[in-house]
Amino acid sequence: MVTAATLMETRSPAPNLRPTMPAAATGQPAGTAAPAAEVLIDIDHLDFFYGASQALYDVSLRLDTRKVTAFIGPSGCGKSTLLRCLNRMNDLIDGTRVAKGSIKIRGVDINRPDVDVIELRKRVGMVFQKSNPFPKSIYENITYGLRLQGATTKARLDEVVEKSLRGAALWEEVKDRLHTSGLGLSGGQQQRLCIARAIAVEPEIILMDEPCSALDPLATAKVEELIHELKTKFTIIIVTHNMQQAARCSDKTAFFYIGRLIEYADTQQIFMNPSNPQTEAYVSGRFG
Amino acid sequence: MEPSRAAEPAEFLTGRRKFHLFGLTIDECIKVFFGGNAVVSVVVLALITIFLFKEGFGFFGLNQQSLRVYRQAGLEYVDIIRAQQDDHTALTRYLSDLRLRQFNYFTQQQHLAPAEANQRLAGFDEFADRFGGAVGPIRGLVSDLTETVTAIKDKFTNTENRKEERRQLLAEGRTADAAKVEITAVDFAAELKPLLATRPAYVEANAEFARQLSAVIASAPAMPIPDLQARMDRFKQLTGEYLAGFPAVEQKLKTWDYTRPVPWYQTVTSFILGRDWVTASFWQDWYGVIPLFIGSLMVSVVALFFAVPLGVGAAIYINQIATPLEQKLIKPAIEFISAFPSVVLGFFGVAVLGQALRALSQQPSLAWVPGFPFSERLNILTAGCLLALLAVPTIFTLAEDALNNVPRSFKEASFALGANRLQTIVKIIMPASLSGIISAVLLGLGRVIGETMVVLLCAGNRIAIPDFTAGLAVITQPVHTMTGIIAQEMGEVVRGSIHYRALFVVGLVLFFLSLLINYVAQRIVRRYRISIG
Repeated sequence: MVTAATLMETRSPAPNLRPTMPAAATGQPAGTAAPAAEVLIDIDHLDFFYGASQALYDVSLRLDTRKVTAFIGPSGCGKSTLLRCLNRMNDLIDGTRVAKGSIKIRGVDINRPDVDVIELRKRVGMVFQKSNPFPKSIYENITYGLRLQGATTKARLDEVVEKSLRGAALWEEVKDRLHTSGLGLSGGQQQRLCIARAIAVEPEIILMDEPCSALDPLATAKVEELIHELKTKFTIIIVTHNMQQAARCSDKTAFFYIGRLIEYADTQQIFMNPSNPQTEAYVSGRFG
Repeated sequence: MEPSRAAEPAEFLTGRRKFHLFGLTIDECIKVFFGGNAVVSVVVLALITIFLFKEGFGFFGLNQQSLRVYRQAGLEYVDIIRAQQDDHTALTRYLSDLRLRQFNYFTQQQHLAPAEANQRLAGFDEFADRFGGAVGPIRGLVSDLTETVTAIKDKFTNTENRKEERRQLLAEGRTADAAKVEITAVDFAAELKPLLATRPAYVEANAEFARQLSAVIASAPAMPIPDLQARMDRFKQLTGEYLAGFPAVEQKLKTWDYTRPVPWYQTVTSFILGRDWVTASFWQDWYGVIPLFIGSLMVSVVALFFAVPLGVGAAIYINQIATPLEQKLIKPAIEFISAFPSVVLGFFGVAVLGQALRALSQQPSLAWVPGFPFSERLNILTAGCLLALLAVPTIFTLAEDALNNVPRSFKEASFALGANRLQTIVKIIMPASLSGIISAVLLGLGRVIGETMVVLLCAGNRIAIPDFTAGLAVITQPVHTMTGIIAQEMGEVVRGSIHYRALFVVGLVLFFLSLLINYVAQRIVRRYRISIG
């Protein structure tokens, strides 16, 4: 309680809570973090509501191509909500709305009424907190997205299955039982199967919503290793409660608190030298 | 102070002040109350089952005796000839139908006046009369023989009644009176002699019959149009087949032997495979469950045909598509249907739906629908529609449960891969909940097959196997059902009679059918739980 009260106090005298926004956010040439990075997702002053309660307050954030960005923060801070805004999964929940601001992917506002949300979700894949393979075979799990897009030739499907499973570092473990149920795999394997399923449709961006929270340390290590490999091909955004994980596998980190973006910077800076006292309090484990 | 403080907890532990009822603690009372309730239900169920079996199984012995008398008294012999006569009647009906078609052709296509059309049909009428009249001698023979064998059967029945009378007197201890009751055993061999002596006469009559039919067929008039001519050719063909069957009939009569024993299994097969349910007949009672079973099945199939798409469709809509407001309105509305007393629904069927369906069927624009127009307002379709209404809440509620059990994460994963709502429902939600939906349908079937009031009021109650040669139009025919027959006839049978017991066996069939359906549904649900994990 004391810490929370302190936080409230510290916030009011400092209304500008994004002092460390990268230079790119202000329109200047990106020079601080990664000179070659290209802005892929541009979130601009976003307000988001679940019915009457506001979940995100004025969030602005720019994410670069082929980087891993971690969203951290205590429970209920809005990090998962923001993640789900990026492929409009929140549409599935009644009464949700973007009240203000915009999210642009490659310059296109994804909340525009003429945007094809199905096309969007093909470009922005998602891996969920709890592994959720369909009650079908491993093979069918992976080809599900492709078949929706009309790919039917066996040769093509076989190729994608192998490629995706190799990409998710699962091929060696399951190649002999592709036609058995995906639910027969262990928890870590199931989660990697879900990652394979997501990359099978070749998205540009992969959203991961606490992908390791239900896994044991060994399985977590495998998934983290995988994230490291995947970032050469995909832009990855990962929501995590585990700060070590954020520190280990992300290039950039955004810290959220009660619906607001408190700080966004290179991961190293967030963990070693945060500029906001709240961030420091959180990453040093004083609350959350 | 020290000893008293030590005594306190000890007193607490002995529980001296605990509440007791009939020497039981309150915990034990609760256990006895709930356990007692469970035991009472199980015992009552067991008693009902035992009663069903006890009353039902007596049927098979009685039925065997009935079948034995059927043979010994010569009824079977007469029925062989009667079947031949009945086949002839069927052919005459074909001719009447053909006449009607010709008449319609003349009046509607040729626009002739009815009188003129009848005049044109004079030749055909003469042909039909000769065809119909040829059976005369055979019919006479059958009717004579019927009297003979009925008399034999009556004698046997009388003897049985005497035996029963004596048994009762003996039971009352009136030995003297019992001795006075005369019992003369029926000598079937002697009684049947005159019957068997008529066989040469039959063979002669039959030869004449065959000769006449052949002659009549040879002089069949030509039909005005090819369509009708095709029917006439078909008729000739049928008659040819009929005539070809004569030697077999004669052979059957020749080898018929009243002493041949009725095998033990025939009492069961005659019930399970019997195609006739004839009761309180002067001739012979038949207890064959097939017409009733088919009636129940047809009504249920029609009901499910309507109820499955409605129930499952509504469940999918409510579970996957509807807004919360729609859910709040539609769900209770569907579940409310089951609050209707089924007799009210049946009444509605008799008074409104039957009429409405018949009126609808007579719309010229709907004549293409199989079975339309129909004139029987109470039939399989009417009963099926109403039963569908009763099955919808069951199927809806259980199917919705099954859909609800599909983890939300499946749906999200599917959407996240770029599936639209329809693809998600068809490819993910439905397969994942399929076994739950199937068991919902099965339990809906159980609900429908056991329903009594609606079918009793609306199915038409004609005890006959519907004519499946009519194709889909079969659903506009009236039927009787297993549940309906029990409700209808149980009130008017003599307790302990063969008819009474036959109804119990029908009840047993229903019992096992429901048991099977529920068992299969439960098995499916259990497997489904395992597969979802």
